Amino acid sequence: MKTRNVLSGLMGATVLAAGLGATPALSADITITMAAPDWPPTRFMKEHFDQTYQSPDGNNTTLDMDFIPWPSFYERVAASLTSGEQKYQMIVTDSQWLGAFVEGGYYLNLTDKIKEDPELQAIMQDLHPALVSAYSTYPHKTRAQLEAMGPAPAEGVNYYGFPQFPDTYVTFYREDIFCNEGEMAAFQAKYGTNLPCTYEDWQDTDWQKWGQIGEFFQRSAGEMLAGETLADDFYGIAYQAGKGYDFSTMAINAFIWQQGGDIWDESKMPDAQAEGVVNSDVAVAAFEEYLSYLQYMPPVAQTGQMDIFVIQDLYMQGKVGAIIDWVGLGEPVLDPSASTVSDKSAFGPAPGTRKADGSIDRTGNIGGQPFVLTTWNSDEVVNEALNVVKWWLSPDTQLAATANGGQSGLMSVMAMPEYNGLRPWNRAHVEMIDWQKDVWHIPEFFELLTQQQEEFDKAITGQISAKDALDAVAEFQQELLEDIGFIE
Amino acid sequence: MARKYREIGKAGWGYTAITSVVGFIYFFPVLWIILTAFKTRTDALAVPPKLFFTPTLENFTSVFFRASITTGTSQATDMGLYFFNSIFIAFTSVGLALIVGTLAAYAFSRYPLRGNDTYLFIILTTRMMPPIVVIIPIFLMFRLSGLAGSYWGIILLYTAFNIPFSIWLVKSFFDELNPEIEDAARMDGASERRVFFRFCIPQILAGLSATFVFGLILTWNEFLFALLLTGVETRTVPVAMARTLGGEVGVDYGLLAAIVTLFLVPIFFVTFLLQNQLLRGVTFGTVKK
Amino acid sequence: MAELATDNLGTQGAARGGFGAWLLDPKRRGALLVTPAITILFVMNIFPLMWSFGLSFFNYKASSPRVPSFRGLSNYERVLTDDKTWERFQTTAVIVGSSVLLQLIVGFLLALMFAKAFPLRRIVLMLVLTPMMLSFVSVGVFFKLFYEPTFGIVSYVMNLFTTEKFVMLGSPAGAIAGIVIADAWMWSPFVMLLVLAGLVSVPKYLYEAAEIDRASSWRTFWTITFPYIKSLLLLAILFRTIETFKLFDIVYIITEGGPGSSTETIAVFLYRNAFQFFQTSRSAALAYIVLFIVIVLTNLYLYAVNRRAQEAN
Repeated sequence: MKTRNVLSGLMGATVLAAGLGATPALSADITITMAAPDWPPTRFMKEHFDQTYQSPDGNNTTLDMDFIPWPSFYERVAASLTSGEQKYQMIVTDSQWLGAFVEGGYYLNLTDKIKEDPELQAIMQDLHPALVSAYSTYPHKTRAQLEAMGPAPAEGVNYYGFPQFPDTYVTFYREDIFCNEGEMAAFQAKYGTNLPCTYEDWQDTDWQKWGQIGEFFQRSAGEMLAGETLADDFYGIAYQAGKGYDFSTMAINAFIWQQGGDIWDESKMPDAQAEGVVNSDVAVAAFEEYLSYLQYMPPVAQTGQMDIFVIQDLYMQGKVGAIIDWVGLGEPVLDPSASTVSDKSAFGPAPGTRKADGSIDRTGNIGGQPFVLTTWNSDEVVNEALNVVKWWLSPDTQLAATANGGQSGLMSVMAMPEYNGLRPWNRAHVEMIDWQKDVWHIPEFFELLTQQQEEFDKAITGQISAKDALDAVAEFQQELLEDIGFIE
Repeated sequence: MARKYREIGKAGWGYTAITSVVGFIYFFPVLWIILTAFKTRTDALAVPPKLFFTPTLENFTSVFFRASITTGTSQATDMGLYFFNSIFIAFTSVGLALIVGTLAAYAFSRYPLRGNDTYLFIILTTRMMPPIVVIIPIFLMFRLSGLAGSYWGIILLYTAFNIPFSIWLVKSFFDELNPEIEDAARMDGASERRVFFRFCIPQILAGLSATFVFGLILTWNEFLFALLLTGVETRTVPVAMARTLGGEVGVDYGLLAAIVTLFLVPIFFVTFLLQNQLLRGVTFGTVKK
Repeated sequence: MAELATDNLGTQGAARGGFGAWLLDPKRRGALLVTPAITILFVMNIFPLMWSFGLSFFNYKASSPRVPSFRGLSNYERVLTDDKTWERFQTTAVIVGSSVLLQLIVGFLLALMFAKAFPLRRIVLMLVLTPMMLSFVSVGVFFKLFYEPTFGIVSYVMNLFTTEKFVMLGSPAGAIAGIVIADAWMWSPFVMLLVLAGLVSVPKYLYEAAEIDRASSWRTFWTITFPYIKSLLLLAILFRTIETFKLFDIVYIITEGGPGSSTETIAVFLYRNAFQFFQTSRSAALAYIVLFIVIVLTNLYLYAVNRRAQEAN
């Protein structure tokens, strides 16, 4: 677009004149400005960079992180990108934003760079395929499609992002309660099955048992719990059921996928339909099952505000026995200044749906964030940025990140014997990452998500049935996607 | 002209007791926030809610220092700079709006143009627009002009937001003044400048103070434009405050409360000092004889 | 509302030559004094407003590199025929109406209370003025915490009286009430200030005269007090309505528009369209419809006020 180029030129000149973060060509002093949410995994990246990074090309490189508060991160990045500010060389991004910002011309296609660079190829091939699929490809390729196409870089696939913090949800639970002999015996007597206490027990826990746990541990103030009198009401279980952002979709998608249903599948564009898929009987039944466990959860579930932070707080303050939440929110649980259960917590894989053969399907919706490069940089800056990528995804850095509350996406690192011992949830994380799929990446992602969250919220707060909600979602998606030509 | 500040009747300490109870109930949510600033996270979320607890100053320390992830050493958070920015930006822009607005108000009052009321109304409408709509043009404009991230950019923007309010209020003060006195002064050979500075302005000082306080209250906590248009160096407290709203935990209630409490202090004192002017000023301007 | 301005052009225009003299000519003094304000307003407000007004006739998406094309009034048509728009307007009307009404009642009662002189009045008054100095964000966050069924103090107090857990935000009505209470708490002091200013301006001798006439206190209020606070009360309604129409942060933080869409105000809807969906042009059209409605309401209101004032004279 012509006008945009003129604007960009002007803008570039202004930025240069003002000396705002632009990098002069032909200089070994390189500043990479990175938009990052303000939280420990990115703070670590900056600190560790300052301590350890040596440019292999001999450049004098500065990583200038613009730490933006999480709740305003999207607005700040979106405003910066769409206004043509061209301030950032690297950006931490939710995987779902890929479509909007690739189509906008802001995120750099790295396919050719990967083709030229064996080191990058090695990294791509060592990254867990679920992460490559969710964080890197646009137009989106599923893990199955990628595996069929051969090792990265596969022909016809475009690659963009690398994991900054690959996240999955796992079960956080109270060891002191779940391994209490009295409670275990009572649970066994009531349901004829064991109360999950060890990691292996959780590996064998399906949603049905999850519901039983919820029913079993729902106790009022004054009743006994694990031999002690409760001062306040106690609940067995909680998972996300919040209206904000994607705070119910991530959990509901899991139910739908596990039971054999599907969301609108962007990888099968333009043949994939929304009507009849999104609101299929299977999907409705799955959503109904998700809703049926809400009655055992803390009362905030009735408001549609039980988001990922609310369940974390309820858990940390000892109001609930087990929650399903992101690994990225695990660190504070172990911090005695924030959490009353820091010495009583253990972690397991999230429950799933039991198949006919007795195995459990734990398909889930991936969380976390990749980071990407932007399109307006000189080759020199791009190459140095890729050096930073290689530094970040080297085993040493990844291990240090994991030890400091991050996570790795490299299979070789996750396979290291010390890995599971670095953080108490690592074993569950490694098990869960294999089950991950992702929600849509198309530019209209936010419109789909907002409408869906609204309908889900109506069902969660009891205003409409699961079927009505999914019918409304399917109708909206069908119309919108036909409008923009994604469904023929 | 200056009206004496009066109350309907006087009351004693008994009345103070009653109003204190009401005032205290009204103030309770603020008190709760202030108390939360001295609580640990566990105390802040205690059930039943805790009115009595062992206070900690840790939240206030965390406002200005954070622990490094890798080494655990203490690092400055730049919050001191953000407090300076907030104070500097708010006071400058409200002051500027007051000066510019007073000049315009004087003109609208003393030298009415054809269609005076229409202009005044158009000026007021600029305050009615939902700010979200002008964000993209303003953002683009700031980029092109290099104003983004600078003090001047955000100051001018806030000035613009405060001008309508300033003009409307200050004009009503000028309207209340008796023009005969000014005319008499002119007869005596006083220059226009002298009429303005020696006769008009002193009479409406209380009103100007009131306008200043109102402007300050409306500007002090602005978030959206500050988020998008300030840079790392010019960031204001409301933007920096957002880091307590989510990340690794949900809301960091103690830290948020500590920032809110500290941020309340300057504006609280300005309002307290100008309280009499605030009441008198509003009265003065808008009540018709 | 603007009247009374007297035409008294000064006679002091100095007879210096050149541009300075031209500029300082008394004929131009009004325009000259207005210029700085108008310049700033134009650059920072009116120009961006016109820019987005222009955008509202295209199909521009800020996130897309496509060249926008002219679409005439189609954005307006689309917005106006969308049922959602009307639902959001209804929600906004309910919230604005009940919040402004509550602010008036509470502000008025507080003003009556503070109209008397009493010891420590300055300090007690500060207790009531503080809420409006807080940020919307912090008010939203803490009221949400107060309403939280497990941790919240409101729920705790209510649970002393009920057996069921008190869940404020579980129903549309409760959620609207939750938002209105927070907003009204924050801004009633503003109304109080204006009303208080009116109350203390009533000349004492009028009350003394009323006392001699043995007028009932109700009658005293309507015939003596009310005329003095009327114009301020009207101003308070005007300002608070304009501001409450834009209410965003408190809603977004406390309920995020939920449950379902029952508290999604027009400001939240606009935000989603502009910043989440990048329907830049469509959201500009919507914003102009909002602006139009506010302007019409304001004008009707001012018209009614002026008419009442004329009748009264």
